[in-house]
Amino acid sequence: MLRLWLNTATLLCAASLLLIVTFLLYASSPIFAAQGLNFVVEQEWYPYEALFGLLPVLVGSLLSVGVAIALALPLGVAAALFNLEIIPKAAQSWLRLLMELMAGIPSVVYGLLGLWLLVPLLESQLNLLTGRTLFTAALLLAIMALPTIMVLSEDALRRVSREQRENAVTLGLNWWQQVCRILLPQAWPGIRLATLLALGRALGETVAVMLVVGSIDRIPEPFYNLLLPAQTFTSRIGREMGEAEIDSLHWAALMSSGLALMLISLIVVAPSLFWRSK
Amino acid sequence: MLRLATITLLLSLCLPTLATGQIRAAGSTTLLPIIAEAAKVFRKQHPDITLTVSGGGSGVGITSLKQRKIEIGMSSRPLTKKEQTQLQHIAHEIPIAVDAVAIAVSKAVYQGGIKELTIQQVADIYRGKIRNWSELGGADSPILVIDKESSRGTRHVFAKVVLGDERARAPGATIITGSNNEEQSAISNSDKAIGMLSNAWLNDKVRAIALIQDNLSRLPSTENIISGRYPIQRTLNILIHNDSSTQTRAFVDFLQSEQGQQIVQQVGYLPAH
Repeated sequence: MLRLWLNTATLLCAASLLLIVTFLLYASSPIFAAQGLNFVVEQEWYPYEALFGLLPVLVGSLLSVGVAIALALPLGVAAALFNLEIIPKAAQSWLRLLMELMAGIPSVVYGLLGLWLLVPLLESQLNLLTGRTLFTAALLLAIMALPTIMVLSEDALRRVSREQRENAVTLGLNWWQQVCRILLPQAWPGIRLATLLALGRALGETVAVMLVVGSIDRIPEPFYNLLLPAQTFTSRIGREMGEAEIDSLHWAALMSSGLALMLISLIVVAPSLFWRSK
Repeated sequence: MLRLATITLLLSLCLPTLATGQIRAAGSTTLLPIIAEAAKVFRKQHPDITLTVSGGGSGVGITSLKQRKIEIGMSSRPLTKKEQTQLQHIAHEIPIAVDAVAIAVSKAVYQGGIKELTIQQVADIYRGKIRNWSELGGADSPILVIDKESSRGTRHVFAKVVLGDERARAPGATIITGSNNEEQSAISNSDKAIGMLSNAWLNDKVRAIALIQDNLSRLPSTENIISGRYPIQRTLNILIHNDSSTQTRAFVDFLQSEQGQQIVQQVGYLPAH
């Protein structure tokens, strides 16, 4: 009975993934039929003129998520190490609880926080025309990814066996050496997975990004200038899905944006398959 | 099994009756304050009717009405030709109020000396030809040009008058906002912004500038809107299905009644009649 249940559950999971991909492919097929695959690398997005370039959002999404993880990974791992190694045992569970709470805050709350705190702050401190920039979005995503990375990294660090630590001490390694040679390498697979999970969440984050990114369909000039307004896959879909007429080319283009986002997530998560099999 | 069948039967009997007592309105955030306020009063008079009001923009209102997801669509712009043909036998428009689209600037810009502009100057800002307030006699600071999502009614009306076509591009835009609320906060939080905003959303931090036409400068004031002298104005409409329920019709009658039109003025618009 249990066996049957497990099999069914697994099959359902796999089927739902297949179903999603099939649906997205089906729903975005009109745009492929009308414009081939060229629109993916085109720059201009004007639904009224049947221009559906995906390049600006591709750049926007990848940049914001990339910078977010680059900020959150070292901070998160450092926070996990700090919690495990440095502060007293009694305080550890509190800090962890705090982080877990942080992971549970709805994203729209982060978005409002960004809108009322981060946007004016960046605007005045960096003397920008507007605080709604790709960097604001990246910063917000970093804050949102931080708890996931920290909590899961801490679990990974905790799982490093006691014997390894004791051996290291016996060998006379100092604390830095213990951390860099024993703890971090041993916990790396766990930290890697934590990063992937955080990356997935950051890629799919919609509301918070939509509120602070500026939502302009334009590649920053030059493209690595993070201090300009831009657009991401999710913020575009979030803003335009409601207005698009079902079965129109615009609708199909938004569906294809969803498909592209899903493919990127799959590509990002794919390496974990190989890590597991080792 | 029998019990399940009974429950299903009961539910299926319940649902249609529930649905007729329900009115859903969505669309333009310009109309939102009117409909929301009217709904508050209407609910007191008809406690048996459930009335929900949400935004989304005129485009969303029209699309949702077409798909029969809502009973009342709110639209702050004229229907396009395509929409007219699509809705011809399904729904019709009812004017509720008259409103102007103000060219709004941040308080600091207004105090810096930008109090009136020609339509051509506004167009040049949105086309990216003018990028600094000093070119227009203001302080030396870049212009934060706020555009709206392309489906928004306010944008259609603005673009038609200022840029010549309701779907015109605005290559000078810096950021894009959605609702009146979002646009209002973006303008008031900046000290160099220009945007388009429904007349009812102006306040101390978000000032309307006068438009110069035929050498006369015209503010979006009540007199200028009534006389039609202010160039960017529109009728605010609601759309209902031709076969809409008696409850929906009762609410529409209420909106058109004297009490309803008073609410329109309370909120900051002009009555339709």
